Amino acid sequence: MRKKLVYGLCFLSMVLMLSLPAFSVAAEGTIKLGVTEPLSGTFKDIGERYLDGVLYAAQVINESGGLLGKKVEVVPIDSELKPDVATRKAQSLILKDGVKFFCGGTGSSVGAAMAQLAEKQNAIMYTYGMDAASMTGEKCNKNFFRPGGSTDGRSFALAQLVVKMGYKKIAIIGQDYSFGHEALSAFKKRIAQISPSTKIVCELYHPAGTKDFAPYVSQIIAAKPDAIFTPNWGNDLTLLLKQGRPMGMKQKIFDYYINDEVTIQGLGNDSLIIGSMGAEIWTISMPTKKNEVFVAKFYKEKKRWPSYCAGKAYTATMFWAEAVKKAGSTDIAAVIKAWEGLSFDGPAGVWTMRAGDHQGQVPYWYTEIVAKNKYFKHAFETPRGMATAKSVEVPLAETGCKMK
Amino acid sequence: MKQKIMPLITIIALFLLGIFMPVILKQYHLNMLTEIIIFALFAVSYNLLLGYAGLLSFGHAMFFGLSAFVTAIAIIHIPGLSLWNVILIGVGAAVIVGFIIGGLLLRHKGSYFALLTLAFNALFYAIATKWHSVTGGDDGLSITRPGLDLGFTSIPLDSLTNFYYLTLVIMGAAIVFCWYFTHTAMGKTVLLMRENEERMKFLGFNTNISRLILFTFTGALAGLAGVFYTLHFQFVSISAISPDMTTAVLLMVFVGGTKKFWGPLLGVFVYIILQNYLSNITDRWPLVIGVIFVLMVLYVPGGLSDVIMNVWQRFFEKKDNNGGKSATAEEV
Repeated sequence: MRKKLVYGLCFLSMVLMLSLPAFSVAAEGTIKLGVTEPLSGTFKDIGERYLDGVLYAAQVINESGGLLGKKVEVVPIDSELKPDVATRKAQSLILKDGVKFFCGGTGSSVGAAMAQLAEKQNAIMYTYGMDAASMTGEKCNKNFFRPGGSTDGRSFALAQLVVKMGYKKIAIIGQDYSFGHEALSAFKKRIAQISPSTKIVCELYHPAGTKDFAPYVSQIIAAKPDAIFTPNWGNDLTLLLKQGRPMGMKQKIFDYYINDEVTIQGLGNDSLIIGSMGAEIWTISMPTKKNEVFVAKFYKEKKRWPSYCAGKAYTATMFWAEAVKKAGSTDIAAVIKAWEGLSFDGPAGVWTMRAGDHQGQVPYWYTEIVAKNKYFKHAFETPRGMATAKSVEVPLAETGCKMK
Repeated sequence: MKQKIMPLITIIALFLLGIFMPVILKQYHLNMLTEIIIFALFAVSYNLLLGYAGLLSFGHAMFFGLSAFVTAIAIIHIPGLSLWNVILIGVGAAVIVGFIIGGLLLRHKGSYFALLTLAFNALFYAIATKWHSVTGGDDGLSITRPGLDLGFTSIPLDSLTNFYYLTLVIMGAAIVFCWYFTHTAMGKTVLLMRENEERMKFLGFNTNISRLILFTFTGALAGLAGVFYTLHFQFVSISAISPDMTTAVLLMVFVGGTKKFWGPLLGVFVYIILQNYLSNITDRWPLVIGVIFVLMVLYVPGGLSDVIMNVWQRFFEKKDNNGGKSATAEEV
């Protein structure tokens, strides 16, 4: 009897589960924007902070009357940081709901696959956080836009800062995959261009997710640099600092993603990171009028400060909305045409979308981590000027992009 | 007589049903159905190992993934390659690797076999991850589907409907062939080997050779499914060759039931539909599928096909009830 019951229950639950989808209803007459972010797993936190920014942008657009008279509807897509999962879910959305616009900020591998999908399915993919320079370089395509930074831009900005501050012997260390290599080679290239007397005394690559930094730190210390450059993020940044500082690695650190409040909290000891500097396309402390308004409004509504992820995603999404507005329709060809060459005066200064490779020409804002700040109890950023878009520009001919 | 005609009618009916699907279904569901058909072959090939031969393999994804990668690499690096050659190269790679690895493994059974297959799968996974210049590593590879050249005419496969028909015909034929295989002398040998290998040896069968043939054969079928996986998504990444893919096919087969030939087909259907809808509702869909798996192993080890057979008997075949004993037990 019990067995029969179990069989019956199994069958019933199966029928129920299969009939569930019948209840989901899609809203009509909206502009849908699919956001591919890792919303589960190790990088969940980064994905959620990016999504936060896109959601806020959609809210702001909708409050001011929508886009072309329609509401913007954000569709979160959990990419699981796997390109096949992201493209599969995106493909479903294209076929089922007619979603034509996608964005995302985590994982250049996801972005590259999404860019290909967008080209095949006549959609648009844009990114605010996938930084590998090759995405608007040799891998560029007409359906992919990057209203955001690249490894080239960031490395150039930091190289210029290092030279300006007069450091002569630099150690560089990065993760041993395409992102790390692209970041370090761009840094070296810029240093060689603007200050041949500055020497790279130590160049190291470690596997992403390294647990023991001691061997790398001893090599850095042995090379006696004046400053250290690294594009490391997340745990690879935390552990480099946590293990390196007590070993005697006292030099100033220049890093891509230094103004990450979660990383700083995770360190648990502010003294490890105070004095480090970074360059970002959006930082909370940028002294522009529009940014102050945005940050204040965000804080008033949400009772918390926007993370650097949210800020980048917000600004990029507003830029996208600007392009759709200029196109006057959601037709993909029209939006592509409208976005090419468009300038957007947003919170982070003037961003211009270069037509040749769809790489946003954006200024980079320098920050330094200090103990006292108006945002958090722990150490956080303070502004230290900026590098103009022109100064970090990579000539189109050097990007390797051949747009069809 | 009825026994012989029934399967034939079922097969023809399923094909006819398949032919009308593009008319009935929306693009989105057709897309999902194509995926289901591809995974159906993968699951059926896995069940030939697990259900028929009693060999638990944790490395079936290496054939699937290998062919998927070889397909993508061939299309990218050999311009103008026809679809037939793509399939040939993809399946050929799986056959060669299946033969070599099968040769190394054929003396092992049970947990040794399971762990060694896992080790080989991990090896292939590591190669796919590390050999960045060829496999694209984490980035994966994107391709464009080549057209179908039939000699007298060529059919573009850009449209989902055309590709669906191609998948239906080739995957369907392969699945029918698997079914036929289980009824051949070779198929029966595999079954008997599972039941009593010692006895088979005394009867003069070389069981090692039989196992090698079966391993290579199922590998080739998984490879064929892998080729179509790449062609369908026009993209391949390390997920295709990761041990997760083996786990997925194991779940599909287990949910459907290993005792019936059509069990895995049902399993794939339920698994993919569940996966699609659950992942829309919650990010924790693997948890739900995991719970279903645990419950099934504990309470319904025969899988859904067992449940359906039981329900069927309760309502339609009351007279045949042989003393409350499950009639579905071993009927393969």
